[in-house]
Amino acid sequence: MMNTLSSKTLKKLATRPEFYVFIIILLLSLFIQAKSGLFFSNNNIVDLLQSMTVPLIYAICAYLGFISTGPDVSFPLIAALSGYLATQFVFVTGFDGPIFVVFLVAIFFGLIMGAINGFIIANYNFPSLIVTLGTTSIFSGILLGVFEAGRIKLPESMIAFGNKSLFEVTNAGTGLGSSLPMTFLIAVSLYILTYLFLNFTMAGRGVFAVGGDETSAERAGFNVKRIRFGVFTVNGGIAAIAGVCYSIESTYFLPTEFAGKEMIVIAAVILGGTRLLGGVGTLTGCVLGTLLLTIVTNSLILIGVPIYWQKFIIGAIIIVGTAISVIQISDLKGFRRNKRRKVGVA
Amino acid sequence: MKTVAQTNETATLRNKSKFSFNKMDGNILRLLIIMFTIFIVASITKPDTFLSLANFLSMEKQLVEYGLMAIGVGIAMIAGGIDLSAVYIANLSAIVAGLFMKTFASAVTGTEQILFIVLGILLGLLTGVVCGLFNGFLIAKLRVPAMLATLGTMQLYMGIAIIMTGGSIVSGLPQPFAQLGRTNVFQVFTLSFIVYLVIVAFFSYYIGKTKYGMKLYLLGTNEKATKFAGIKNHKIIMRAYMLSGVISASAGLLSLARINSAKADFGSSFVMLTILIAVLGGINPDGGKGKIYGIFLATIIVQLMSSYLNMFPQISNFYRDMIWGIALILVLIINYVLNKKSEAKLMRLTSQ
Repeated sequence: MMNTLSSKTLKKLATRPEFYVFIIILLLSLFIQAKSGLFFSNNNIVDLLQSMTVPLIYAICAYLGFISTGPDVSFPLIAALSGYLATQFVFVTGFDGPIFVVFLVAIFFGLIMGAINGFIIANYNFPSLIVTLGTTSIFSGILLGVFEAGRIKLPESMIAFGNKSLFEVTNAGTGLGSSLPMTFLIAVSLYILTYLFLNFTMAGRGVFAVGGDETSAERAGFNVKRIRFGVFTVNGGIAAIAGVCYSIESTYFLPTEFAGKEMIVIAAVILGGTRLLGGVGTLTGCVLGTLLLTIVTNSLILIGVPIYWQKFIIGAIIIVGTAISVIQISDLKGFRRNKRRKVGVA
Repeated sequence: MKTVAQTNETATLRNKSKFSFNKMDGNILRLLIIMFTIFIVASITKPDTFLSLANFLSMEKQLVEYGLMAIGVGIAMIAGGIDLSAVYIANLSAIVAGLFMKTFASAVTGTEQILFIVLGILLGLLTGVVCGLFNGFLIAKLRVPAMLATLGTMQLYMGIAIIMTGGSIVSGLPQPFAQLGRTNVFQVFTLSFIVYLVIVAFFSYYIGKTKYGMKLYLLGTNEKATKFAGIKNHKIIMRAYMLSGVISASAGLLSLARINSAKADFGSSFVMLTILIAVLGGINPDGGKGKIYGIFLATIIVQLMSSYLNMFPQISNFYRDMIWGIALILVLIINYVLNKKSEAKLMRLTSQ
């Protein structure tokens, strides 16, 4: 398929929202580069990757929620609460061993919280937005009310992990240096795992099937309830990883910094072509959507756009981006068939 | 043919209203019981602080803003959508009105000043109309899913507000306007609460009893059916979001009068609270069910509860979040179980 880039494959490419996001990213980055000359500098790229890490992990949660059921908005607070519990675990036990144990503790708590979401959503078939809004509120109450969590400096062992970097670069021109933390590696491996799971396991195909058409999935032999329960439970675990990564990056546990991140992540995932009603979406789209919004928040300042234009631009991108993809879908004839085809390429 | 179709339609309309009326009665009854229980418990355990005039006045002031926005969100939810941008429409309207009054009304006095204040209020409401219509346009005409459209406009309206103010607070409004926020009627009601009651009464009637309201419920229940029944769906949806916008704008104006300032990101936590209140009040998030006065009762419950909890200094404010979350999910489960029971009953009746 690659050697003959026929008009047909081009056409097929042009029907995918990711393609447009990619074009927008390209144009935007070229524009910023032309205006400032700083966009394609090594330290800016590394900075972008660094600030993308946590949103990328969050994006998997939002993505899995959308393709199987609907919006999941609880991941920032699951991240916060399980991150807090893992940090407390290190303090209380004085644990000084390998960092992955800390992650495992966080994941354990994350899975429990995810399972609560999953149970309510799958068992009662409630709208996931409302349920996860409710549990967000509960988790936030537990974190700030019951535990009275405040700003905590992380234990030494966790800071040490945060200071380890994958590689460091220094911009010869400006002398600014940036380093890519190890957490980026975690994000990348999560993407690979999710990709393999969704495309090469029966349960993974079931996630798409359940989101695409619940009844058909059930007739085809998928256990709809179990798949939904599984997805939200796993989401809890992934969110927990993001929570620990976020704390490690900032060397502090900041309980109030988590809430409110969900909307921008959801926007990124939707921009990347994931459908709100389930069954359609790709991980590539998630990465591109996250990249676009990260560029907007990080690099617009390079061309002298005042910081307070940020929200406006993000809102405009969400509206224009989604409107284009919605109009396009409704214009295409044989929409159902097209949807089926898209399911195959995650 | 036409008459048959018409009688069919009126018959289904009647059935529908009867059906939902019976069902909602249970929910309203439950809300009333919860409300009085909280009220009595609070009055017995904290008689001197809870049953004071000052406490009632402060409760009235606080509940008006999110209570109004919850009605807006509720209307959008009845139509089968959601309005996440309500809080930011309120802030934007308050900022537009505030900036206008500051520029024009502060320099003059007397009737001229009053005129400019009235114009400012109208301009604020107009902002709400425009914002709401834009939401409606995205949802009804461009077919962007409501959650996504309002997620985008939420950022957009906040963005516009930040650009207009440069991120700072708008304050220093003309005296007569600020006075409105401090006016009490019969000493036991704040003016804002009276405005709130009027709006609640109006929309209870408008959504519950008029032709438009009926169409809105039908649309929320089954969009395809209303389309084939000859109802212009996009007009209904546009108007629903416009109403939500205007109600949010009035909430913004009342808060402008109360705290005498406005800010682009004021009340961000209300986004969650408004949805919670709407669901607590019996609005079905899938659309088509729920009553406006249910939202009113839910608002009162939330305010009673939060004022009561405030009287225990050892309980941190954050416990409220937890209680709201648990309440939301419990209400959903209770409604689910009871609906299932009534459905089973109906099934038995129809099978006989």
